[in-house]
Amino acid sequence: MKSIALPVVLALVASVTLAAHHSAIQFDFTKSTAITGVVKKFIAINPHMRLVLHVKDTKGERDIEFEGHSTNNMYRAGYRDNMIKVGDTITVYVAPLRDGSEGGYVTAALTASGTRFGARSRAELEQERLKAEGNK
Amino acid sequence: MEHRPRAASSVLAAASLLASVLLAATPALAQQPDFTGVWTTYNEPGQAPAGGRGGGPPLPLTDVAKQKVGAYRALVEPTGDTPGGYCLGTGMPGSMLGSGGYPMEIHQRPEQIMIVYEAHNEVRRVYLGNRIVPDADRLPGRNGHSSGRWEGNTLIVETTHLVEQVDQRYAHSDKARIVERYHLEKGAKGEDVLVAEMTMADPAFYTAPVTAVKKWARVPNGHLLPYECAEETWMKHLEELEKKAGEKPSTRR
Repeated sequence: MKSIALPVVLALVASVTLAAHHSAIQFDFTKSTAITGVVKKFIAINPHMRLVLHVKDTKGERDIEFEGHSTNNMYRAGYRDNMIKVGDTITVYVAPLRDGSEGGYVTAALTASGTRFGARSRAELEQERLKAEGNK
Repeated sequence: MEHRPRAASSVLAAASLLASVLLAATPALAQQPDFTGVWTTYNEPGQAPAGGRGGGPPLPLTDVAKQKVGAYRALVEPTGDTPGGYCLGTGMPGSMLGSGGYPMEIHQRPEQIMIVYEAHNEVRRVYLGNRIVPDADRLPGRNGHSSGRWEGNTLIVETTHLVEQVDQRYAHSDKARIVERYHLEKGAKGEDVLVAEMTMADPAFYTAPVTAVKKWARVPNGHLLPYECAEETWMKHLEELEKKAGEKPSTRR
């Protein structure tokens, strides 16, 4: 099932299913930002996952709250149980909030063990397209 | 002993005759395709994934419908809120046209076909033959009430007893009548593709019937996932209760 459904779902999660749930309007899905932090809270849940990362960067230390794909979409994009645990250092790829505040919609993640799951964002797909065109 | 072969021969002949009669009496049954299985959105080769809320050409809405749909959209567009965000299933015809991009599962029996859409665990039961529920015993709902029949290899499903819905692409009144036609085709790679053609007639909301087509690709040995959706709401409620419980001592002071 995985090999057949995944390509379809990966494409879909970047478009249809995002639009299917609440307040997607507040996120800018044309952009993708990578944020690394330590997991303080993570719940794989429907309709949207909940994540709190403790982040340290030039702005200082603070907790940032995110939401993201449903458990079901993440599963079909490679997520499995216990891939993310409290205390793990992970990187999430998020569609940022339009109003510029911190947080965003997690479309993909790089786990502490180096496994990446999730969909490529529209921004990443566009970058790949431009790269492919440049290589022609 | 002598009679046994003759008796066996008679029984075989009778059985053969009975089988012939049964087959002759139910030719459609023998031809019916089996839609049982898990299905996901099928995209034609080179076609971008379909979807997006509210996309597509304008629909021939009546003035009444325009007013109702316009009022609804004005209400939710600033926030981007959707029924799904509040754990409410799409309802017909949104469920049969994709259900938010999630897969569906079909269980087919001669008298009843069960369609389970993964998103929000939406379930439709299509009754056939003697299982069809009389009109007076049907309750309205977002997915309405569906009855089916076969025309050769095509399953025809009629859905009525819908509630008015302005919160989906194909908004409709409670008088809407939806006819779906399902048949199997082969996809570009030889895979099974289930084609679902939808026609909705609703003079209260549309000046002409509206149509749409959805194609589903079979997922061999596929599994649907559970879709509990209210957990988040429950967790938030518990957090609120905990917060209030934590505030009690200070309130007493």
